[in-house]
Amino acid sequence: MGLRRIHFLLWGGLIAGMLLLPQVVSSGTLRTMIFANYLAIFAISWDVLSGRTGYVSFGHPFLIGIGAYTTAILTKRFDVPIEISIPVAVLFTMAAGLLVLLPALRIRGSYFALVTLAFMELLYQLVQVIRPDLTGGTRGMSGIQTLTRGAANGYYLSTALMLSVAVSMWLLMRTRLGTALSAIGMNEESVRGSGLSTTRLKAFAFLMSALIAGLGGAFYVHYLGSLAPRAMFDINFLFTIIVAALLGGTSTIVGPIFGAFFMTFLLEYLRPVLPGAERYFVYGAIALIIYMYQPKGIFELAQRGFDRLRKASTA
Amino acid sequence: MSALEVSNLVKRFGGLLATNELSFSLKEGESLGLIGPNGAGKTTVFSQIMGELRQNSGTIELFGQEISALPTSRRIRAGVSRTYQIPRPFGDMNVVENIRVGLMPDDIWRMIVSPPDIERERELALSVGFSEADLLRKPSELAMGDLRKLEMARTMATAPRVMLLDEVFAGLTVGEIAQISDLIQSMRKGGMTFLIVSHDLPALEPLVDRAIAIDRGTMIAEGAFSEVMNDAAVQASYLGGA
Repeated sequence: MGLRRIHFLLWGGLIAGMLLLPQVVSSGTLRTMIFANYLAIFAISWDVLSGRTGYVSFGHPFLIGIGAYTTAILTKRFDVPIEISIPVAVLFTMAAGLLVLLPALRIRGSYFALVTLAFMELLYQLVQVIRPDLTGGTRGMSGIQTLTRGAANGYYLSTALMLSVAVSMWLLMRTRLGTALSAIGMNEESVRGSGLSTTRLKAFAFLMSALIAGLGGAFYVHYLGSLAPRAMFDINFLFTIIVAALLGGTSTIVGPIFGAFFMTFLLEYLRPVLPGAERYFVYGAIALIIYMYQPKGIFELAQRGFDRLRKASTA
Repeated sequence: MSALEVSNLVKRFGGLLATNELSFSLKEGESLGLIGPNGAGKTTVFSQIMGELRQNSGTIELFGQEISALPTSRRIRAGVSRTYQIPRPFGDMNVVENIRVGLMPDDIWRMIVSPPDIERERELALSVGFSEADLLRKPSELAMGDLRKLEMARTMATAPRVMLLDEVFAGLTVGEIAQISDLIQSMRKGGMTFLIVSHDLPALEPLVDRAIAIDRGTMIAEGAFSEVMNDAAVQASYLGGA
């Protein structure tokens, strides 16, 4: 389980490639990359909880929304500096994560997924009705302070954030904690039967997931400079996060990143051909084919190909 | 002091009395057989001892400590562990990773900062009869006998002082039964306390010091294994005899 040189080389190559990218691509492509970076953060957040423990969350936009709204309200309505509003937003999101944990102590499977979906819907309705003077109601908020100017800077910031989240989670999930969380997804009773408190482990997974979602949501809103409840709590946004994680390969960290970039660029390149929501049919079909033939995702497929090549070269 | 003391245990499922004022005790290092026909409530007793089911009344003491109010994980840390009738491995993990879960401390910080004890994982796997070649195999590649061995190893990894074995011979070949029996015998020599449920009575007999028989949650006989087996009430209920 040691850190092999190949891991450092792969991460190093990825980081170097991403840092050099603004020199060679257009600002339009960079904006697509920025969205892919944030989608990757959200997919990692979903994967830490749902990919590992098997508690499938349909309510991740709820957590992302808490992070985004908290920092947006604090900065715009109360003139709180961003360096304070973002940590506060993350803490609020973690508290919300514990709220989502409560149903997970009693239920799992499709029931848990539906309860989390209800959380998302509840927040969608609440931000429109409760204190619209703060939340902006149905129209949302605009003129929110941004952290960067220009596509290149936005790209660097989102890349740094995404890689920080990815590397930290990768290191954390390589420890026995990652094994224990994956074990919950395989057989929670056996984890309990091995003398481990699954409640404590699940609480940790929910907190980690919420921390990443809150961080991603807060930075994302300070990149966009606006917040629209219809887009934030859109079912397509939710499924894009989940499909990115599943398509790339759950419980792998690299998988959700891979899935997020694949999904974002696929949807982007389909836009001129299929400008409407029918684009989602195409990605739905691709997702279906990959699940049928490789349920562990594209990353597993790539890894198998890599293993085959290695075996062939040593034979 | 008893290793395990069960007193007046009662468990009801609606109108069904699954455990009826059941009392028994195990001395440290003793091996007790728990027998009874299908549906007698043997597994329900195990589940209550482990805290997977809460009794309606009665007490369970482990080395003098009342454990009824503790969650399963704390009972295991207190020194009691069980295997299941149907093995429950972690499907995507290999043999040593499965054992790793049993060896983990129930402390998130220590899980993160201290590395796995690879030597101990290997040692446990080999002690239950796995070969070096088996260590990286996944449960889907293992036969039923190996899955039972894996279950034993993961249970042993929690460092129990009392082990509850549920239908430990079910689905095994004659050779596998002999292997598991040898393992239990060597652990008995090491001082382990056992409570064993099995329908394979000839295989069970040499592994226990005495036995208790239950039917519909009620104890119907207690004593030496042969005495219990010859008891009229046991024969009537368990063996279907006259």
